[in-house]
Amino acid sequence: MSALTTAAPGAPVVELDLAELRRDPYPAYAELRRTAPLAWVPSVGRHLLTRYDDIVHAEKLPEVFSSREEGSLLLRTVGPNMLREDDPDHRRLRTAAEPPTRPRQVRDQWAAAFERTAHELLDRIAGRGGADLVRDFAEPLVAANLALVLGLRNASADDIADWSRAMMDGNSNYADDPDIWLRAERATRAIEEAVAEMAEVTRREPDGSVISSMVHAADPVDLAEIQNNVKVIIGGGVNEPRDVFGVGAWALLRRPEALERVLKDPSAWKRVFEETARWISPIGMYPRQLTQDYEIAGVTLPAGSRVALVIASGNRDESVFERADEFDLDRPHRPHLAFGGGPHFCMGAWVARHEVSAIAWPLVFSRLKGLRLDDGATASDSGSAAGSLDGWVFRGLTSLDVTWQATA
Amino acid sequence: MPTVIFQLPDGTERKVIAASGTVLMQAAVSGGVEGIVAECGGNASCATCHVYVDSAQAELVGPPNDVEDEMLDFTAAERRPTSRLSCQIHLSDALDGLVVHVPEEQV
Ligand code: FES
Repeated sequence: MSALTTAAPGAPVVELDLAELRRDPYPAYAELRRTAPLAWVPSVGRHLLTRYDDIVHAEKLPEVFSSREEGSLLLRTVGPNMLREDDPDHRRLRTAAEPPTRPRQVRDQWAAAFERTAHELLDRIAGRGGADLVRDFAEPLVAANLALVLGLRNASADDIADWSRAMMDGNSNYADDPDIWLRAERATRAIEEAVAEMAEVTRREPDGSVISSMVHAADPVDLAEIQNNVKVIIGGGVNEPRDVFGVGAWALLRRPEALERVLKDPSAWKRVFEETARWISPIGMYPRQLTQDYEIAGVTLPAGSRVALVIASGNRDESVFERADEFDLDRPHRPHLAFGGGPHFCMGAWVARHEVSAIAWPLVFSRLKGLRLDDGATASDSGSAAGSLDGWVFRGLTSLDVTWQATA
Repeated sequence: MPTVIFQLPDGTERKVIAASGTVLMQAAVSGGVEGIVAECGGNASCATCHVYVDSAQAELVGPPNDVEDEMLDFTAAERRPTSRLSCQIHLSDALDGLVVHVPEEQV
């Protein structure tokens, strides 16, 4: 089925400015939910689906809303991979890769090392009295953790973070900038080499990592498949936990009462995680392509239509979350959509929950005494003046400047 | 076509007629039973389809499989001896009349 690059008959057409979406997509989403819950947006080249119920409905129908999207930039950047496959192909790869990311493995196999790394990073900055917690702490932490879980002992945290950035730039290279492609290719080639080396090593000595798990999968996976899937995991595996960390820390630093409560009752860090992921979802949307004609949100989409499931919008849907624009730890527990749903439910969910809510936040807030936002980093929840809330496909703080009482 | 009964936390119950060969989670979702979230669509990776099997029938339904057993340690509501993931319970006529209790929380 070839992709249709035009609006479905009868679909409302809504012009959205991409720069504005990057700055703050939420007002536009609110308007779409109200007036055009399925709308063709020319600048995105897709229909945006923005209401919670419709998104959940689509997620539960992977045979109609296929992950095999033609012309996807992700495919161009990393090659065929499980995010852009449907079952059963997706399932074979997912089953091979998933075991090291399951919650018990996270707790028993990885948590101690995650914690050590977090302490080391904090040791490095504690005496300074100020830092950018995204660049100096969260990013190197999640990158090191990712290297560990993947089994890339031959790569540094910096390598992982650089590769991730280069590929993410490729995935959003709608302008077709040749420099960006070049950097993305360099990164993917470096990953291929690193994976090939570790696949050889773990073939002889299994080490419980994702690469090892794929090498030894019951249903065989070949090297190119391991390489491409590691690429895709590196692509997403840095941004998302880093951004939840940054946004959640920022939200609490601006809400002293909430922070005080969480510090008194550490079991509440879990709530902070889920509410942060709902409030400003690190992944804002993902694409699907219709395998058949299908009616949703009052429009019949022909087979081949391209749809973006805008989970960031579903997570602000007032019909599900009261005062949805507010960060509120006490809201009734309703499932958010930040991890996606159905067979592609985020494979990194349990790793991210643990590294951020059980390790990164509690350590930062207990070790850095008197932590507060740098002046200038205190703007409103929606604005970009906060330094740096940015993005709509992916959204997070590009920096989080804070100060504290330096210790010797 | 087994009939299954979901007892909801508010004290009401929902009866669903399920096709044989489906899993309990599927029956709940198609029947619109609130409280079975099933984020991962039945792949034992999200722990949001948690149920307590009625103790009288626990033996009939059987224990969790390995993958499920680990996931049950991470459910939002407390794990009990009769806890199962509904996406891992295969329905057959032998389970006609199955009663399960839906926990207060899944997330
Ligand atoms: S549906 Fe996700 S674990 Fe059952």
